[in-house]
Amino acid sequence: MIFHPAILALFVGSILVSFIILYAALYAVQILRKWDLRSGSELQLILERKTYLISTFLAYVFGFELLSFFLFIFTADQIHSFFIGAMCAAGSLFVNPYGYPTLILKLFNFILAGIWLILNYVDNKVEDYPLIKKKYLFFLLFVPLILIETASQVSYFIRLKPNIITSCCGTLFSSQNGILPLAKAFSPGLPTMAAFYIALSLTVGVGIAYFLKGKMGYLFSGLSALFFILSIVSIFSFVSFYIYELPMHRCPFCMLQSEYGFIGYPLYLTLLGGIISGFGVGVLMPFRKIGSLSVIIPSVQRRLALISVIFCLIFAGIVTVRILLSDLILEGF
Amino acid sequence: MIELKAVKKSFNTGKPNEFVAIQGISMLLEAHKATVFKGPSGSGKTTLLSLIGCMTRPTSGRIWLLGREITSLPERFLTELRRKTFGFIFQQLNLIKGITALENAMLPAYPAGDRYESIKKRGMDLFDRFDIASKAHAKTEWLSGGEAQRVAMARALINDPDVIIADEPTAHLDTHLSKEFMEMLGGLKQGGKTLLLASHDPIVCESQVADRVVNLRDGKIEEDTK
Repeated sequence: MIFHPAILALFVGSILVSFIILYAALYAVQILRKWDLRSGSELQLILERKTYLISTFLAYVFGFELLSFFLFIFTADQIHSFFIGAMCAAGSLFVNPYGYPTLILKLFNFILAGIWLILNYVDNKVEDYPLIKKKYLFFLLFVPLILIETASQVSYFIRLKPNIITSCCGTLFSSQNGILPLAKAFSPGLPTMAAFYIALSLTVGVGIAYFLKGKMGYLFSGLSALFFILSIVSIFSFVSFYIYELPMHRCPFCMLQSEYGFIGYPLYLTLLGGIISGFGVGVLMPFRKIGSLSVIIPSVQRRLALISVIFCLIFAGIVTVRILLSDLILEGF
Repeated sequence: MIELKAVKKSFNTGKPNEFVAIQGISMLLEAHKATVFKGPSGSGKTTLLSLIGCMTRPTSGRIWLLGREITSLPERFLTELRRKTFGFIFQQLNLIKGITALENAMLPAYPAGDRYESIKKRGMDLFDRFDIASKAHAKTEWLSGGEAQRVAMARALINDPDVIIADEPTAHLDTHLSKEFMEMLGGLKQGGKTLLLASHDPIVCESQVADRVVNLRDGKIEEDTK
């Protein structure tokens, strides 16, 4: 294991998170089994008091989960100099079999954490706990993923040894021998670029329509998810070329480095913010008819739609500016 | 207006020194009436008032205020409810020393975010009503017992609550001041306030103002007289 401050922070943080999650899970099970707001029993009143504590705990834990994704990729990037052959986080994550699974789990859990925070926010806005069982059921389904993430991250960190020979991003993400068949499938980039801008137009258009009229929530949510997937594919297919001004350099991590103005961070932040808020609109759709939530949810959904549209536009704006200002001209790609 | 169903309150629950202050009380308290909770020390009067006034939560049981169940409310909702619905007059008046009588009375209104001038006017109107306008700018430590009691009453009314909760309000007053205090409470009742008092003072319990006297002993209702 390498004793880097960020590694220690992630290591200790993830273990603490796991303990809190397990503690919270015990109450979540009790709430699912015993919660009955009509009852004035001692247990029910204890659960009512506890849920306030537990949901506050979880809000912080999931807040940490959001931060830890960025800290993880930052760390992976920072430690690449310890490994022979690594040029960025791509190489650091490839030094043992746990790097990429941890990254994927973190990405997945990032989105789930964001959605849980939206559910919790809405539930806390009203006084009759309308989503209590749903949010704790969602949480319980989420618990194994966080525990697996912790185990995977710990396994990754404790197996880190300096001077391990690894592959650089040029090898990992190349069109011939790369590990990403999806990106290859979308090469050449022109159709992907067209699909990206069409998806952007649709997502923004439907998002603005939703913000103004409150209709087509599921469609907007679905389009946000589609835009997210297409954006990830686009990063491999053409965005990376323009950022690096190197045809065929597809690395999604080099852009996190100072040479490229840390442009990867705003790109990923807006992309993930956009998917969470956009997907959140759809997640809340089934609950908008619930009595006490019928006033709260539509306004929250409209705000989420607006946030999602803004994030998508910022993401697309950064990408477009880089394409327009890049010295790279790709013809017939 | 206020309904209690099987309300129980215990302290140090599950420990050897567990103490049950309220033992499953169910009752209905009518609006615009004065109810006096009477009983010896340790009978649960103060605990019951604290439960009704959302100052503490029951161990079990439910309380409804105007049909709204309030025991399950998280603290973020209770704070506003408490501020708008209840005015408290404590046994130890709890006036803050070092600031004026008027500033004391205005304090509970600040969190509501009203304009300072508007709060001050409300405070002065109450001081006029209780005939202590001349003491508005006096420090609280300079006030007599009766004046301090009136300031406490003005403070309880500054947010125009529906319910006034007074815990042993005459404990530190002589007979004359106690009767005067009950007259003032009578005026509030006529103005539409609901009064909930805890006292074992005969001046309070036998006052014409009291519509109902609930006798508590060991956390249970022993006698309920209307």
